[in-house]
Amino acid sequence: MADIEIEIDGNLVSAKAGEMLIAVTDREGISVPRFCYHKKLSVAANCRMCLVDVEGAPKPQPACSTPINEGMKVHTNNEKVKASQKAVMEFLLINHPLDCPICDQGGECELQDVAMDYGSDVSRFSEGKRVVVDGDIGPLIQTDMTRCIHCTRCVRFGAEIGGIMEMGGTGRGEDLKIEPFLAEGIQSELSGNMIDVCPVGALTSKPFRYELRTWQMNSVSNIARHDLTGSNIVTQTYKGRVKRIVAKDNDSVNETWISDRDRFSYEGLAHENRLLSPQIKVKGEWREVSWDEALEFAMRGLTDKVLNTGEANKLGALASNTATLEEFHLLQKLLREVGSENIDYRLNIKDLENTVTLESNIKLAGLEGVDHVLIIGSNPRLEQPMINHRLRKASLSGASIDVINVMAFDFNYQLNSENIVTPNQIAFMLAEVLKLILQASNAEIPEALSKIEASDTAKQLADRLLDADNSVIILGEHMVNNPQASSIAQLINEIAQQTNSTTLNISATANSMAGDLTEFVPGKKGLDANAMLATGLKAYILLDVYPHFDFHHPAQAIKALSKKDAFVISMNSFKDEAVAQYSDVMLPIASFYETSGSHINIEGKVQSFCASVSAPSDVKPAWKVLKVLADLLQLPGFHFANSMQVTSEISNQGHKQNVSNKKLDIKVKRSVNVIWQKSPYAVDALSRHASALQATKIGQMHSASMNKATAKKLEVAENDNYLGVPVSIRESVANNCVFVNTNKPIRGEL
Amino acid sequence: MISNQAKKQIDVWVAKYPIGRQSSAVMEALKIVQAENENRLSADIIQAVADYLDMPSIAAQEVATFYENYNHKSVGKHTIRICHNISCMLNGADDLVKYLEKKLGVKTGKVTKNGLVNVKKVECLGACVGAPMFQIGEQYYENLTKQKIDEIVDNLK
Repeated sequence: MADIEIEIDGNLVSAKAGEMLIAVTDREGISVPRFCYHKKLSVAANCRMCLVDVEGAPKPQPACSTPINEGMKVHTNNEKVKASQKAVMEFLLINHPLDCPICDQGGECELQDVAMDYGSDVSRFSEGKRVVVDGDIGPLIQTDMTRCIHCTRCVRFGAEIGGIMEMGGTGRGEDLKIEPFLAEGIQSELSGNMIDVCPVGALTSKPFRYELRTWQMNSVSNIARHDLTGSNIVTQTYKGRVKRIVAKDNDSVNETWISDRDRFSYEGLAHENRLLSPQIKVKGEWREVSWDEALEFAMRGLTDKVLNTGEANKLGALASNTATLEEFHLLQKLLREVGSENIDYRLNIKDLENTVTLESNIKLAGLEGVDHVLIIGSNPRLEQPMINHRLRKASLSGASIDVINVMAFDFNYQLNSENIVTPNQIAFMLAEVLKLILQASNAEIPEALSKIEASDTAKQLADRLLDADNSVIILGEHMVNNPQASSIAQLINEIAQQTNSTTLNISATANSMAGDLTEFVPGKKGLDANAMLATGLKAYILLDVYPHFDFHHPAQAIKALSKKDAFVISMNSFKDEAVAQYSDVMLPIASFYETSGSHINIEGKVQSFCASVSAPSDVKPAWKVLKVLADLLQLPGFHFANSMQVTSEISNQGHKQNVSNKKLDIKVKRSVNVIWQKSPYAVDALSRHASALQATKIGQMHSASMNKATAKKLEVAENDNYLGVPVSIRESVANNCVFVNTNKPIRGEL
Repeated sequence: MISNQAKKQIDVWVAKYPIGRQSSAVMEALKIVQAENENRLSADIIQAVADYLDMPSIAAQEVATFYENYNHKSVGKHTIRICHNISCMLNGADDLVKYLEKKLGVKTGKVTKNGLVNVKKVECLGACVGAPMFQIGEQYYENLTKQKIDEIVDNLK
């Protein structure tokens, strides 16, 4: 739209026709008070706080819902405005309790601030104030609804951003109450944002309740590392402890929202299960020792076992995907320096010869502009909440979304088609789609596809990909252990090329992108994670590995690591029984927000962060531990004074994932396929130790879902245990498929 | 929870709105379902209506709690819906409410012991011309006096 000029408080301002007045004043830095207006939510205009004087209009106009016009003259600060703002303020304060001294919002309260500026110092209201009885709406959000001013930001957040309307206004007039439906409570994976949008102390953080005043804390920017977004956050700290996390605006990454996982996982930092001091195992007994002694012991172990015997190739390094870019880099550098290429972070993959390799070539912000999406093997809402939020935006602006999944999930947007397909048939289905697409462009049909008869479903999927101008194909984490994983990725890549689609690979999460970039994968002469454990090495360095959660076959991994002649150095931030069983040295390392480093998100954006707090007692950042260990081993090239020097050594050439050229396998097999997934709040050690998160419904997810036929085949019934997880029989799961979603250690083979 | 007959009635209302806007029928749907559940709504019923119309349960709850023609507590066989807004009030509605309460021996909002009648104060029913007035079932009774009330109420069965 064309630029027009309007006059605000006597100054000429240019803006786009049709913009709301408040957007213009905000951009120009002119302060207009408001409660219900929020830049990312629809306009409600119900608080009336933003009244301004528009020349020619008989009454003051709400700036949030007044579109601007050429030549408009606005006053934001004259007597008329002041009088109306004062009057509105008086009304808003009629029922608001004067309990600021015991209110958690005190000091960061929009109402308090505005009341200071616009309110009267004496109340003329002598009648009884409204009191609202609070219900428990879940472990994350504390309600004090007597303080509510009915701005409906939380209601609109649920309906517009969260995708499920959870809060609503019941009753009317004096009796209007903002509440969720009965005792259902709030269940959204983004619910914590309601705390951020609430302008008063009605919705506050439950874990943070009565902890501190906001002005007592330091605010430090940081990056959340639980998923592929790398949401920008502010950690608020007090005396070396992270006390609360709030969202930080970054339109190209997380806009102004963060997931509950990013917001509440910090609680785990103060968990009693933290590993706090270096320990070494002497004659089977654990002994707490100084860092010098522990590192000396580790160094001796390595030199005696492998380095001095000329068996550097018997040393292996495994890391979890939550490591920072710098940690990945230093560990692989250390290994390569001593002459070993046994390096891997892909611990949950059954067959590392058959992996999904697919590039992500679309930006996060770009996702909301696509007109068609094909999702394969993912429940993005719980796995990648912020990516799902972008997809929801795309859907709301008209994108059609097709899904090929092994089970029906709860999407918070309209799906064009939801195809529930047996894992063993997904490759075949994609092959059908590819053949149709090749046929449509009269391209040559490869031998492997020649005999395929395409189904109607495939026709519809192909048609929509062909029709779309700007489509994206998303490959999710349920496909990583598919027997035809690499073929699925190849087919997606081919389909994307033929239809000019972009691709998004969300099959590996957290900081996996950094693992790829630093080549934390075996070199030509190296062994991958599975091969290391199968052959049995003589020494291992493990970086934040929790075997029961990280390995696809924990029992086997633990057995291999527990071998008598294997020397195991474990760097962990939390204690773990299995780790204590197989390790010889345990080095306590800093967790999230206690170390500096970098996260690489799905679009390859490197986001570096400083430590928000120092690690407790004797705990050290892993990059420092690795650097000192390298120094002790007298390796060259480890003269780093801080993690930034490490970062600058890593050349960010953007890691290109080469699509495998293995022979296409699209044969449909009849075996039962188990898809195992850690539940959304059990993805890493920190969130597993965050008590409020664990108490939520999502945190409690623990079930092996399958349909009746599969259950019969496996001879299990509802609530029986399958792999130690209670069976839940539902027909929304594809045939021959068990979908395990668990927050507990996995027992047995997957 | 919702009988097939009620579903049929609701579908008539759903058909009046554009496709995909079925939730617009929520008011009528609640009314229909309330009628076959002893004239009251419960959380389960509201949930069932919301599910049937494919809308968030809280949104149905908002409607059900906004309008006073939905009951959330037990009501009598007859509900006397007496207007207490400005015209009726000026014409003595408040006295009539007190009179009704004394006559029936129950406060507004409560049901008589025999389960026959309850009194509910409601907002304007659009019959100011005949103020004071009340409504029983579908029937309006206007220009009320204590005498007239005796006649009407004594004849309720």
